[in-house]
Parts: sequence; C-alpha cells; structure tokens
Amino acid sequence: MIGKKKTIIVPKKKMICQVCGEREATFHFQEMTNGQVKELHLCEICAEKKGLGQTFFMPGFSLSNLMAGLTELEVPLSQGTSVSCPHCGLSYGDIKRKGKIGCGLCYQELEQYLTPLLERIQGKVRHSGKVPKKGKVEDQRERRIYELRKELEILVRKEEYERAAKLRDEIRRLEREK
Amino acid sequence: MILQEMANSASQWSRADGPEAEIVFSCRVRLARNLEGFTFPPWAHDSVLKDVSDKVLNAVKRSHYLKNSRLIKMSELSSTERRFLLERHLISPEFSSGGPHRFLVTEKREMISLMVNEEDHLRLQSILSGLQLMDAWRLTDKIDDELEQNLDYAFLPQWGYLTSCPTNTGTGMRASCMLHLPALAVTHKIDELMKNISKLGLVARGLYGEGTKSQGDFFQISNQVTLGSREEEVVDHVESVTRQVVGQEKKARDILLRRDGIQLRDQMGRAYGTLVSAYLLRSEEAISLLSKLRLGVSLNLFPQLNVQVLNELFFMITPAQLQVKEGKEMAALDRDELRAKIIRGRLSKLGQKK
Repeated sequence: MIGKKKTIIVPKKKMICQVCGEREATFHFQEMTNGQVKELHLCEICAEKKGLGQTFFMPGFSLSNLMAGLTELEVPLSQGTSVSCPHCGLSYGDIKRKGKIGCGLCYQELEQYLTPLLERIQGKVRHSGKVPKKGKVEDQRERRIYELRKELEILVRKEEYERAAKLRDEIRRLEREK
Repeated sequence: MILQEMANSASQWSRADGPEAEIVFSCRVRLARNLEGFTFPPWAHDSVLKDVSDKVLNAVKRSHYLKNSRLIKMSELSSTERRFLLERHLISPEFSSGGPHRFLVTEKREMISLMVNEEDHLRLQSILSGLQLMDAWRLTDKIDDELEQNLDYAFLPQWGYLTSCPTNTGTGMRASCMLHLPALAVTHKIDELMKNISKLGLVARGLYGEGTKSQGDFFQISNQVTLGSREEEVVDHVESVTRQVVGQEKKARDILLRRDGIQLRDQMGRAYGTLVSAYLLRSEEAISLLSKLRLGVSLNLFPQLNVQVLNELFFMITPAQLQVKEGKEMAALDRDELRAKIIRGRLSKLGQKK
C-alpha cells in the first residue's frame, strides 16, 4: 500500500482535540505511515480543515477498500511477478500491491493467480447473472437463458403455469447444450 | 452554476413517497462495467481514460434515459463542490478526489447517475425512495442494456462482468437499502441485528463504515458477494432481509411508545424545541436532533410535520450543501448560524400552517 493508511478507532474515554486543544474530539483515527502508527484525535472543525471530517450522508470505507486490504494479507505469492498480461503489462505482483486488476485480459492471462483470489472472495462459483446482448456465440446462448429466466419469473407471478413449464424446459435444454 | 441549481432542491429520492419510506430512507442499485480492450482506470494512462470517456459519453448521448442529463467534469470542481456531490450520494469517496477525464452524468431528478472512469469505466446507479429495490434494479438493468448498444463490455461466461476489484466481479452489482432505525438503536438491539445480518451473507454498517457509530441512527444493508447468484435473487434477498428489519423497527417503536411513552414524547418535544429556537447548530447536533424528531413524526406525534420535510433538512444542512447553496466558502460558525436559520425557518413555517 502506497502512502498513508487510516483506520477509524473507537477511544475508551473522552478526548480533547489535538489540534485546537479546546473542543471535544469526535474523529479518531489510527494512521499508518511507513509502518509507524500514530493516533489522531480531532474535533469536527479541525478534522474538516484537514479534509478528514465526515459529515452526514458520506459513505464510509467501501467494501472494496476493505477487500483490497484483505487480498494484500491473504495472498502470499512471491511468484507470479514474472508473468505479465500482454495487454496492460501488469504482473500479478502489481495487481496484488494495489488490490486492483489491470484489464479484462488479465482475467484470462493471469487466470492461475486470479482464480484462487476470486474464489476466496466470492466462493467457488460461476457467474449466473446478466449477460451482455452483444457477444460471442456462447455468450449469446447465456443471454437467451437470462432473458428466458426473466420471462419465466413474470409468468410465474401471473400464475400462468402451463406456459411457465414450457419455458422452464426450454431453459433446461439450453443449459444442457453448454 | 449547475451545482447551485441542484442545491436549491433535494434529490427526488428523498421525497419519502416510496413504500415503507418512514423507515427505509432510500434504496440503491449500482452496476460496475468496463469496456473491452481498455485498461481499467486505476492503471490506465490519461490517453486511455480520455478514449474511454469519449466512448461512454457518446453512448450516453444516445441513451433515452440519460440524454437530458447534467454532465459534470470532475476536474473543474472545487473540493467543496466535489464533497457536495458526495453528500448527495451521486459520487463515491474515491471519485471525490477528482482526477482527469472523470465525469458525472446525472439525470435531473438525481434518481439515475453514472460515474465515468471511477474505479471501473462505468458505475451506473439508480436510487429510489423507500423499499423498492426490485424496481431500482429493473431501471438500472434497462439503462445498462441501452448503454450496451453502443459499448462493448468486458465479459467472460465464467466470471461475468469483469471489474477492477475482485469484490465486484460477476454481476458487478451492489444492492443496498438505507434505513432509519432510531427505536432499535435506543433499545440497543442494533449490534445483535448487524451480527445476524452478516450471517445471512449481507453487510450491515453505519453510514461511516464498519465499527463506527452511526450518526443519526442511519444504517445500510447491502449484498456482499457478486458472483454465483442472479441479480434478481440478490435483490430479493436484500429486500426480504430489509423487510424483516423494518418489521423489527416497527415492533420496537410500538414497545417504546407503550412502555416509555411520556419519556419518548419529552425527548422529541425537546428536540423540536431546540431545533425551532436555536441560533447556532453544529452539524452533529442537528443530525442527532433531526433523527429524534423524524421518529416523532413517523409516530404521528407532530401532525403538522411530515417525513419529507425532515428528509430534506438532513440533506440541506451538511457543510458542503450550505456552502454550494450560498456560493461561497464559509467558516464553521457561519455555517452553524445558517444551518440553525434554515431549520428554524422550515420547521416554524410548517408549524404555523395548521
């Protein structure tokens, strides 16, 4: 992780702002800079001056940020730095460092490294959701299945079971062709 | 200019006209998409970001849903203006740091918006009032189809939509509901509830992230996993869990009213009293008082007020909203004064009507 890393902490007792020394501190952070931990206790006004203040409605730490941290910890791969993606030029080592994948082709070219990572986060599963309309031949079949499923749901809701059954058989047939 | 125009009205989704809107403030679906053959934004050179934004904005022009939208270039905004958009839930914290070739497209009612070159090339979202997550998904799905007509998305059958962060791979979808749970908070049931929700494969958190105390008793529930389940299944799951939480909040409100009726009335009356008579209000204090009053309004203890007014106030009083509306940077004390003035004005005006 490049630069500083901030974690919100919850203090045990009331604290006074470290900057102004007057108001009660309401923002409590632990800041990591190059391995050194520093605690920060700021009041709303001083926190805002420093660009740290969080006001109502501001979404906090996103899940992906948390996960990026997680992948750093959990994938102890020293190999994977020699192979790189022919499109974006990134190695798995690069991706690991930032927690962000380089491009669509990485998913194929660095598959052996990305698969364990994806399985750890998402489970050992295959995509079964939406499929783009435009795509290769096999994608088109998946798109068809996706659309039929949507129709099926509507029919079931309307209680048109006879037509729904036909549709279900069609979906099964398409799925067998995969 | 565009932002000042926006600051004069609240987003459509704060109108509290959706189902269960007294408890479910809003619901949101967002999709992450990337263009095939282009490096993802965190790694891309400026020239790539430019090509991507050209392509995406061209597709936006042809979109029926987005063609009359506002187009905002992030690099032209001040930090207060970017924060303004963040507080209105139109951009992410990441996007609010600015950067070249980043655009926000937002339809006038702010129900649909699109970030171009955030962590993914496209981040499309719909926000609706109350609990209508399935409708939010259907709307987002349609716009996504429409944009795709002029764009080639990065997709693999095994992994679904390919995204910058592996936590979004698959559907690229995050479905979430924002809830106001003052009764569950006051009866200390929140922690247990959050734990149970995480057992159901969902994420529950205060608005400021995990482990932090939620200001104003607002909480968010969303799906964690994006691979392996269909979008409708996920939306259904988030919606049904939210519905259960709504049921529990209602029960807690009933119990509170019956058991501590007079204390509750007293607290809310005091909150109202402070809000209509204070001349200086800090943001944190205002939010906490408005949260109490919002509960009172939901319980029909203030027949002259409605939830919508409260929702709008939550919106209008944050530091960046105040400053953009006034068109200038303001010191904290000046903001506190303006905040108190706005609240006094809104609440007493409505109070006198009846």
